[in-house]
This record gives sequence, C-alpha cells and structure tokens, in this order.
Amino acid sequence: MSDTETHRLLHDLRNPLNSISINAELGKLTLERTGDIQRAIRIFEIILNECRNCSNKLDEVKTSSSKFGNE
Amino acid sequence: MADVLLVDDDKHFLEATAELLGLLGHSVKAVDSVAEARELIGRYQFTHMILDLILPDGSGLHLLEALPAKSETKVTLITGHPSVKSIVKNLYGSNVSYLIKPIDLSQLQSLFVDHQPIVGVNNSDIPLHFNFLVGESEPMQHLYEMIERVALTKANVLLLGESGVGKEMVAAAIHYASKVDGEFIATNCGAFSRELINSELFGHEKGAFTGATHRKIGVFEQANKGTLFLDEITEMPLDLQPNLLRVLETKKVTRLGGITPIDVEGRIVSATNRTELDIAEQNRLREDLYFRLAVFPIHIPPLRTRKSDIPLLVRYFLAIFNQQYDSNIGISEQSLQKLIDYDWPGNVRELRHAVHRAFIMADPHQKLIVLPDDLTSPFSKINQQHAAGIAVGKTVEEVEKELIEITLQHFDGDKKQTADMLGISLKTLYNRLNSYADA
Repeated sequence: MSDTETHRLLHDLRNPLNSISINAELGKLTLERTGDIQRAIRIFEIILNECRNCSNKLDEVKTSSSKFGNE
Repeated sequence: MADVLLVDDDKHFLEATAELLGLLGHSVKAVDSVAEARELIGRYQFTHMILDLILPDGSGLHLLEALPAKSETKVTLITGHPSVKSIVKNLYGSNVSYLIKPIDLSQLQSLFVDHQPIVGVNNSDIPLHFNFLVGESEPMQHLYEMIERVALTKANVLLLGESGVGKEMVAAAIHYASKVDGEFIATNCGAFSRELINSELFGHEKGAFTGATHRKIGVFEQANKGTLFLDEITEMPLDLQPNLLRVLETKKVTRLGGITPIDVEGRIVSATNRTELDIAEQNRLREDLYFRLAVFPIHIPPLRTRKSDIPLLVRYFLAIFNQQYDSNIGISEQSLQKLIDYDWPGNVRELRHAVHRAFIMADPHQKLIVLPDDLTSPFSKINQQHAAGIAVGKTVEEVEKELIEITLQHFDGDKKQTADMLGISLKTLYNRLNSYADA
C-alpha cells in the first residue's frame, strides 16, 4: 500500500470510530439522564452500523494488500 | 449554558453530538456545510463554535473569517490529526482549541469549563492553589487550610465575601480539592425570574408548562456526584426556598411535571455578598435552609486585607492577557505601586478589569501597561455623586445610570428590591448593570 492510501485509510477509519465514540457517550447519558430505552436502542443500532463500516474498511485493506502482495 | 454552533458533515456524529450537548444543557445549532454555518453566524451570536476542518463546500477555517472582529466566540476545531494543531496555531494564534478524533464526553465537556483557559496559561511561575487561587498572604493561607479541611468532608459550604472577591473561584477550588467524580456546575440564583428558577434548579419534563418543548435537566441533576455552586443564594425568593430545602433534606429531585424522584448527591457550595448578620436581620434566608447550606461557612478576605498578593495577581493577570493577545507586556515598579496603594472596593474583579484596561492601553514601544490617572471606578464614586441629581446637560442614559446606582446602594446591593422600586424587571436591571460593567 502506498503512503497516500494508508493515509486515506486512517482517515476513513477515524470517522466511524469518532461516531462510535460520541454515540456511545450519548447512549450512556441518555440512559442515565432520561431513561429513554427506545432512543438508546436506536443509538446502539447506529454504533453497530458504524462498527460494520469499520470492518468493511478493514476488509478493503486486506483485499488490497493481498493484491499488492501478489504483484 | 453555552450557545453552540456545531459544523460537521458526518451526519451520525453531528446528530449525536448535538443531542449530547443538548442533554448537557447547552443550546445547539447543528449544520453540515460552511454556507449554512456562515448564514447562522450572521444571524446569531454563539459562545462556542465547534468545526470540522474539512467540509464539502470548503474549510471550517473559512468560518473564522466570518466571525466579527474581536469576537469572543470560543473556536474549537475537530481534527483527525494532532499535527494540524501546530499549523493552525501559527495562522490564528492560540485562541483556538482542538478536539482530536475519536472524541469522548470528557473532551467535549472540557470545552465548556470557563476557567480552563486561565488554568491553561499557567506557564507563568505563579503557583495556583487548588488549580484556581492565587495568593500567598496570611489570609489566603488560612483560606487554603479551610478548603483543605472541607474537601475531606461532604459538608455544604456557604461562601461569604464582598462582591468581586472570587467566590466562584473558591467554589471551583473546593470542587477541585474534593476530587469527586461529578461535575462543577455554577448557577446564579439572582439571575432567574420566579417562574424560571424552579426549572433551572430541578429541571422539567417536556410539556410541563407552555413553552417546555424539551425535557430539561436541572442543575441539581447536572451536578450529581459533583459540586453545585449557587451564587447569590440570598436573592432567591423566600417562598421558593422550601423547594430547595426539600431537595437538601431528601437528596432527591423531581423535575417539574415529572413523577419519579431522582437521587442526587454532591456538595452544595452557596455564596452571598451579605454578612451573616444581614442574612438573619433582613430575613434573606429561611433559618432551616441557612443551617443546611452553611454547615461550613467560609469567609473570603477582601483584597485590601491582603495587599501583599497584589503583585502576584497582577503578574498572573498579565500572563493571561499576554497569552490571549499573543504579546509581551509588563508593568513598571511605579504602576505596580499605584495598584498596591489603591483600596480596591471591587476587589480582585476590579483589579483584573483595571489590569485588562491598562493592558489594552499599553505603550507598544515600551511594552508596559498604562494606568489611568484615576483608578476609582464609577461605583465607588456613587457617594460623591449622590447630591448631583438631575441637571440640565445630562443625557437620559446618565440619569438612568445614576438612579439605578443610587437605588442599588440604598438597598445595600439588593437587586430584587432595586428592580421593584425602579419598576423594571430583574433581568433588565442585570442587563443595565452588565452594560455599565462592560463600558
């Protein structure tokens, strides 16, 4: 992988991680302060979605690095 | 509570952060482009702006230019990489702070701690006691000892001291020394109308009253497991005090319109600029409430009784302003002596303002602050002006100001009574006083 690609990947991963972090804080605070379980469930769904996002990005790396490896 | 403009193009992050800040009691406007943000900047005044650096229609940095000159908006840039910090610092000075992704709650909260910049600049050699207090004099040493003792307990503290001695600073210092998990939340009991004070203290449920479009978390809940600072406690209407007493006794709050009581714990630090005798004589606090709040009373010394601290305070304030304005201004021996000789009826707050004014007037070549010939503030001149009254040649504003000051003095600084006598709302009175202080 070239430096630019590594850089782009790091950036791409940081965004969903950021969303996971802030949504997790929001979920915690929602349950602590409002006890709104329905809202909390929706927040957890967002977190899970972002986790899948991260996973897909990592799969991309795997594919592209094995591609590079074959060359 | 802060008015925040949040700009980020990541939808999930934007929505969650806006909601999170809302839960923390801030008012938030969230948009995902430079264009929309620019429009909002034109229409509203924000205390804080949190920006993503890279947005679909340009850089968040462009919005810094959209801010009016000398804007006091605190700007925070969200970045994925710490290296951006040093580049932007060179461009926009040190008045910009940063959040590095991934962001968590404590990072976000740190943006709204008022005193953080002050703590941040303490790269001067002046020691801060309990992270907030400056001074080595004997009265201050005594104060530090009291703070140390009370920090070990859970006792409620009543701070007594003249206006401007730094009651909120001492409250923050007690919070710091107590090493508790919760937050430090400050509120002013004199600044709310009768209708709003219960909602401010205890919160309300959505629909609790007309205009309650959202659930609001009161300061008691916000300060859970931490420290709640109630300034001007003696300005709270007497008939509303039983509500406060009940929370202190039961350690539970029920939001307005709510059913379930919520457990709250933590320390209440309240403050007043009245003397204990005044409080009792004029019946400013119910006796039962007084004993709940003043388990541990602490008197904060006026500045004139600790003049040996003035040089330290002046150097400390200069360090702050030099950092803020990115300059290197000092003070001459002669000016310092003048500051030491003055009586400071407005205490440390007045000293800070005087240094700030003199800093702005500083001679750019000599790099020294320039004091005015007369240090006395308009407030300390009230006595002499008392006889002045109405005379041809005065503006309506001047007469109004004089009237407000005389009435305020007549009621020993009691803003509620002053507003009543003048026939204006307490809010209007505060606005006027603030505008005089700013002038």
